[in-house]
Amino acid sequence: MATRSVSQSGDPVEVHQRPWLTTRRVIIIVSTIVFLALFGIPLLNVGYKMVETPSLFLQQVVTGLTKGTYLAIIALGYTLVYGIIELINFAHGEVYMMGAFFSLSLIGLFGLSGESSALALTFGLVGIMICTMTFTAVLNASIERFAYRPLRNAPRLAPLISAIGVSFMLQNVGILWGDHNLWDNLADWTGIDRLTRIGDAMGSNMVAPKSFPSLLPNRQVPFIPDSWFTFTWKSLLVVVVSLSLLGALYAFVRFTKLGKAMRATAQDRDASRLMGINVDLTISLTFLIGGALGGAAGMLVGLYTGTAVFNMGFTAGLLAFTAAVLGGIGNILGSALGGLLIGLLLALSDQYLGSRWSNAVIFAILVLILVFRPTGLLGEEGGQKA
Amino acid sequence: MPKSLKVGIWTFIGSFLFLMFYGFQSVLVAAIGALLIAIFGVLLALPLPDVVKSGLLTGIIGLVFVIAYAVERPAIALLGAMITGVSAALMASYRQHKTDLRAGAIQGALAGAVGGALTAIALFLVWLYIVPAAGVTNIAYAKLLSETIPLGASLGSDVAIIGWLSALTLLISMLLGALMGMARTVEGVRGNLLSYAILGLVVLLIPILDRQTELQLLNAFIPVFVFILLALGLNIVVGYAGLLDLGYAAFFAIGAYTTGMLSSPLHDTHWNFWLVIWIAAAVAACAGVILGAPTLPLRGDYLAIVTLGFGEIVPILFRNLGGGGPNGSLTLKLFGGQLGTADIAGFTVMDQVNLTGGVAGINPIDPPKLPGIVFGPQNQVPWFYLLVAIMMLTLFLINRLRGSRQGRAWTALREDELAADAMGINTVRTKLLAFAMGATFSGFAGAFYGAYVSAIFPTSFDFSVSIIVLCMVILGGLGNMAGVIVGGLLIMGADRLILPQTSNLIRKVVQHQQNTLDLPTYRDITQWRLLLFGMVLVLMMLVRPEGLLPNARRRAELHPDEDTAEQENATLFDAERDPQLAGH
Repeated sequence: MATRSVSQSGDPVEVHQRPWLTTRRVIIIVSTIVFLALFGIPLLNVGYKMVETPSLFLQQVVTGLTKGTYLAIIALGYTLVYGIIELINFAHGEVYMMGAFFSLSLIGLFGLSGESSALALTFGLVGIMICTMTFTAVLNASIERFAYRPLRNAPRLAPLISAIGVSFMLQNVGILWGDHNLWDNLADWTGIDRLTRIGDAMGSNMVAPKSFPSLLPNRQVPFIPDSWFTFTWKSLLVVVVSLSLLGALYAFVRFTKLGKAMRATAQDRDASRLMGINVDLTISLTFLIGGALGGAAGMLVGLYTGTAVFNMGFTAGLLAFTAAVLGGIGNILGSALGGLLIGLLLALSDQYLGSRWSNAVIFAILVLILVFRPTGLLGEEGGQKA
Repeated sequence: MPKSLKVGIWTFIGSFLFLMFYGFQSVLVAAIGALLIAIFGVLLALPLPDVVKSGLLTGIIGLVFVIAYAVERPAIALLGAMITGVSAALMASYRQHKTDLRAGAIQGALAGAVGGALTAIALFLVWLYIVPAAGVTNIAYAKLLSETIPLGASLGSDVAIIGWLSALTLLISMLLGALMGMARTVEGVRGNLLSYAILGLVVLLIPILDRQTELQLLNAFIPVFVFILLALGLNIVVGYAGLLDLGYAAFFAIGAYTTGMLSSPLHDTHWNFWLVIWIAAAVAACAGVILGAPTLPLRGDYLAIVTLGFGEIVPILFRNLGGGGPNGSLTLKLFGGQLGTADIAGFTVMDQVNLTGGVAGINPIDPPKLPGIVFGPQNQVPWFYLLVAIMMLTLFLINRLRGSRQGRAWTALREDELAADAMGINTVRTKLLAFAMGATFSGFAGAFYGAYVSAIFPTSFDFSVSIIVLCMVILGGLGNMAGVIVGGLLIMGADRLILPQTSNLIRKVVQHQQNTLDLPTYRDITQWRLLLFGMVLVLMMLVRPEGLLPNARRRAELHPDEDTAEQENATLFDAERDPQLAGH
């Protein structure tokens, strides 16, 4: 497959073109054929089902996009951290879990329930959200301070393992947090009887899923007719809060001086230090923001789905990480887009393939993206750095 | 000194946080414990001879074993002495190498004596304080002693038996230490073989001791060894070839499921275990190549994430290929013939083949068969010896692999992929072989594990298995087999042997002291294992990222200022100066 061309000096030069049928392409074609042979008919079947009842399809799309907005919020935590220190922050999923647990405890402590007045609910929930975000922000930043910062110049494996360690520790904290005996005993010793309310909110079994009281109105919003699809106030709130957090973050990173410092640090740490940027502070700030977003997502998910479990962070974390990679890790809008897409895929696969396949589908997508387009959909840069 | 004080203070705070749930008495216990640890730290910081330090450090193993177990099974001191003696001598020779046979024997015996003494002291402490605190009466304990300790019945009083047990502990520890010390003085391959022989002797003696003294520890030891087998396999991928694999449990699952599908009532195929174990290893190796192929262009974090994805997909596949409700789920029928005939519009879902048993798993799986030997749940000894045989085979193979051309290619790949490629190493083949070899050994482990536990479920192979195995490799020291074994023994030993028993002991003591029958779940130390585990990981990364027994090259990489690098440079320098070696 060599063609003859003429160089500038006039001498003929052999230019080698790679044959079109490379080994890689052969592997891809063969595996596509095998895949279609195995799953082709079921997939056609799925397609047929989608067209058969469009309303169901539309409903799933809406549900998926709603889920996608909070996945996007979690994904932002990954993308911010990966963008700035190139670390897959395994503990981020657990920070999100801690957000759900903390907000549930506060809801129990303040005694909010479905019967509370609208005013109390509004102010209570806003206050709890602020407290939760502060808590997870501080948590995330202190994780960075104690577990990642000392390893900044260590080999890349070290912070990754450290992150996994922190994630295990937080999961265990989640297990212990869910034990009502602990809260009852704490109430005994400190003399603050109110603490038993947290224990009540946690239920009797320490590892069982905790149930949130249904605080958000579960009615259809007025401006969308029932006949189109179901869209409740609850979903609307989740979407609105998530999107406004997303917008706020985008504006912060894009237009403020600190945001500029973050972008500079992400691009070149040493150069930005030379330019007078306090790199450690900027990284701490990134973790603060990521933690706050994770906590907010935890609370939203708790209110939306009504449950929180100590190991909810692992799965959600992997979904969100997939979303971040899909959109292009390090890119804020990309992560948002990735989150929406993953939410959509999740809802569709729940409906048409069965929820037991959903995780496998998501991981397969993750693997395919990383193998074929590691930069993601919106990523511009060289993608992975060794 | 300040470091040990710091550790003491932190231990105090930590144990206080934990023990405050047990009332105010225990705060005192925490204070004493922290004080002891601080004293221990100071002892280690003092300029004591290496022999004493090694004995003190390894004596902790015996001490912990004795404290956890001796209330119920006092003969544990003998096991503790065996482990402590061997490891004390090993550590002493690691710190200060002797060449003279006699000096080596003395060094090993001294180190073993210090470790054994610590174990014996722990035994006395348990007898004096913990046994009464746990509510075991003197008479009951004396009866237990006379029944389980060799020659115990003829000695009579419990004081005499405890004394005899301590003397025996010290003696065994010294003897094994001396043997090991002598073995370490022999240079080269013969020395290594001798050390392995002594380790093998200890391992082979464990079932006999176990049976004689009713320790009933074999069913805890076997999972520990299975995980060490896994860690040795993962060490090829992560330690030698430098490919971070977070989904190693997938290959373990594949090995176990191959065994389960080929020799169980599920498909009514009852193939012989001795054949199936090789098939399982081969299938796992093929899976290693198939799953490794897409990851070839990836590096670092992305490789880790893709392998993690595979590690999650494989158990999900095993769960979902087990039949189940047809509605709304993606189902497939491979060889049923109906695949093409159904019309698409009216396509109700095809009926499904139960390949893997689904959520219910595969149960039971046939045990191996050998004439005259019964492999059963009651009889652990043949399982133990079978596992030891598999491990010896594995150690032999990996040892040969590491030094081979392929092993050196892995090292080159780990150090610099680009340079390795330029030097003519086929990186694709090298990477795939690393995945395949790593998977092979986990296939062995999976086959053994499936047959041993006789019931496998998709949930037995989740992410935490991959992570635990990875932690063993990292804690022990990447790329060093001895380190990996030590790491495995420490992590899995703590997880399977020490933690449950300690939790048991605490429950007993608390129940006796406070006269309560139930203990809130958060007081149960086994509920804290993830926390402890994570803490070990983080601390390890902060304090000693290269692991307990790192291989020399990696240590030089992580601590460029220390003498290892200088030593290597000095050797290099000498080689350059040497006219014969330099070749001109």
